[in-house]
Amino acid sequence: MVKVGVPRALSYYRYFPLWKTLLEGVGAEVVLSRRTARGLLEDGVRHCVDDICVPVKLYFGHLMDLKDRVDRLFVSRIVSVEKCESETYTCPKLIGLPDMVKGSLDGLPPLLEFVVDVQNRSLKSSARKLAGELGAPAPVARKALAASLEQQSRYERELLRGRAPESAMETIFANGNGDSSRREREPEKAGDVTIALVGHEYLIHDPFVSHDLPGKLSRLGANTLLMSQVPAEVIAAELDRYPGISWSYEKELLGAASHFLGRPDVDGVMLVIGFACGPDSIIGEIINREVRGPESPPLTTLVLDEHTGEAGVATRVEAFVDLIRRSRKHRRPGS
Amino acid sequence: MKVSFPHMGNAYIPLSALLTNLGAEVLVPPRPTSRTVDMGALHAPEFVCLPFKVNLGDNLRALQMGADTLAMVSGMWACRFGYYGRVQHQILRDAGFEFDSILLGRDGLLPVYKKFQSTAGGNLLRAWVHALRAFKRKAEAMDALETSARQRRPYERDKGASSRALDEGLAMVHRAGSLREIDAARGEALALVRDVEVESGMDEPLRVAVVGEIYAVLEPSLNFDIERRLGEMGIISHPVMSVYKWLFRPLKIDTSILLAERRARRIARPYIAYVLGGEEHQTITGTINAARKGYDGVIHLYPFTCMPENICRTILPRLESEYGIPVLNLCLDEHASPTGMATRLEAFSDLMKQRRGKRATA
Ligand code: SF4
Ligand code: SF4
Repeated sequence: MVKVGVPRALSYYRYFPLWKTLLEGVGAEVVLSRRTARGLLEDGVRHCVDDICVPVKLYFGHLMDLKDRVDRLFVSRIVSVEKCESETYTCPKLIGLPDMVKGSLDGLPPLLEFVVDVQNRSLKSSARKLAGELGAPAPVARKALAASLEQQSRYERELLRGRAPESAMETIFANGNGDSSRREREPEKAGDVTIALVGHEYLIHDPFVSHDLPGKLSRLGANTLLMSQVPAEVIAAELDRYPGISWSYEKELLGAASHFLGRPDVDGVMLVIGFACGPDSIIGEIINREVRGPESPPLTTLVLDEHTGEAGVATRVEAFVDLIRRSRKHRRPGS
Repeated sequence: MKVSFPHMGNAYIPLSALLTNLGAEVLVPPRPTSRTVDMGALHAPEFVCLPFKVNLGDNLRALQMGADTLAMVSGMWACRFGYYGRVQHQILRDAGFEFDSILLGRDGLLPVYKKFQSTAGGNLLRAWVHALRAFKRKAEAMDALETSARQRRPYERDKGASSRALDEGLAMVHRAGSLREIDAARGEALALVRDVEVESGMDEPLRVAVVGEIYAVLEPSLNFDIERRLGEMGIISHPVMSVYKWLFRPLKIDTSILLAERRARRIARPYIAYVLGGEEHQTITGTINAARKGYDGVIHLYPFTCMPENICRTILPRLESEYGIPVLNLCLDEHASPTGMATRLEAFSDLMKQRRGKRATA
């Protein structure tokens, strides 16, 4: 069986159930890279341009982790993810990801490129191409695609219920994401404050770079809300007020921030952005200036990169939770 | 209406002609300096790309000079540039400035067309036609002058003479009013550059292609006037882009620009398969073409954290070895220094000379 390595970074958090089911359906064995650790990140940093965003550095680290133990490397090219009238894109780096990999790393196993470009080609044709490269006949590919779309929607339903990505994967796959090293705690919803996290999932849910931000919040007694819990229609409705953005993923950040900032049960919003992230630098500013209003709950921005220390994140999070608790007491005296 | 816009090389010359002919008073901020960058950086998001900070600084200076209208191209874009105007104008309003925005591209053409109804006086259509002709004529004059100075500089006897002639010539074109005056100024200005005395019997100068992010390539304040520096080091620079092309590419009227763009995309495709929204195709193709034409090197300029150019930067080492041409990567941010740049250019020039020597003996 051909072993296909899938890096646990970037679009993994959104699409892994689809990819895994598809790859296995056409007869491949899926090998997932190990969880991010210091050495892996350093490996990524070494193989990247200095001033590129940390999620791309992580991606490179995960590729290096896989390269010697697989036959093929699965690399995604996410170009467009929205079918709409205006032209929309993801980030230039997600579009050019395979180009960067091919253009700079030597000694890799052959790449298996998977293109998501829904404005110009169907997922079906991308799946067919992938299956073809792995030598699977068309009927097998068709069946695998149907099964993988099924899994993907189950996954997305779990996310909507508020599950973190890897915990949701554990539910939908009998044996999780194929990685038994992990034991997920369910978030308890008994905290006295509720904080919404807005930011790219590959940043927030990589426990190494975010220093387990969601876990930190829950240990401080806060309930967390995730962007992936906000239904697409709600985001779309929010975006009516902020037109003119063509980065699909940033639209989600913007729509989710606007939704959370207007919700009475949300006590605070943390905007988590990556240092050197181009789109975030713009959307962060739009959220802070166009969306946040005088009535909004507190909003704070946490910038993460490979040098961000555990202590730094802990201090910021504690200070923010404190601030919210204090301002609440202030707002509701006697309660 | 007192209108202003951020700098991009000498673009202020044709742009001023356009707006003046529409009846607006044009306020050109001083050429960006480190102070401009500092002013912009103070108000800009921390790790936004450098051109944003420079543009914002230009806008701040213009407002301090009394501008009441700020113009900027804007719109749906794959890269950050498309959002510059929207975010910058919001930052300025939050800082307490009041002004009117012209966001070309975002608002659509008609509102921009009509904006000058009151200033143009009489026939708006005629004013636009005339303004566009003056714009085009000045842009062509500017381009011709820049090209001619670029070619002359490495040979000049008196260091800096071509640049002085260029500045004087550009000022003449800038001052010219009617179309006839523009043509006359162009002729005179070109003669000034042509009259610069040259050294005879010089060695064939080194040739480098200058590629990268468009502001970094074209705006002297960002790149410490690299074109002039190279010229005065006796090196001929070939920037892959020009302010003229930057102005006319979006207008889609010059077919030669459009064809060149398409060609560049095609050549770059094996390395960058999809459009990334910047100058990535020009960077890749510019490097390949430089090697094919036998240039001595390539200088790659890009602002810190620039997305499309970061991708190119990742790939360029491969082109360097596949095509056998040295590439100097210069990453620019507000902390970059002219001395740092000078040192790196010197070292690169030595490297190119050595290679040339080796090739000659081989
Ligand atoms: S969106 Fe930001 S973090 Fe994600 S790949 Fe692009 S630049 Fe990096
Ligand atoms: S091309 Fe680079 S410098 Fe220009 S807007 Fe995009 S990221 Fe910024």
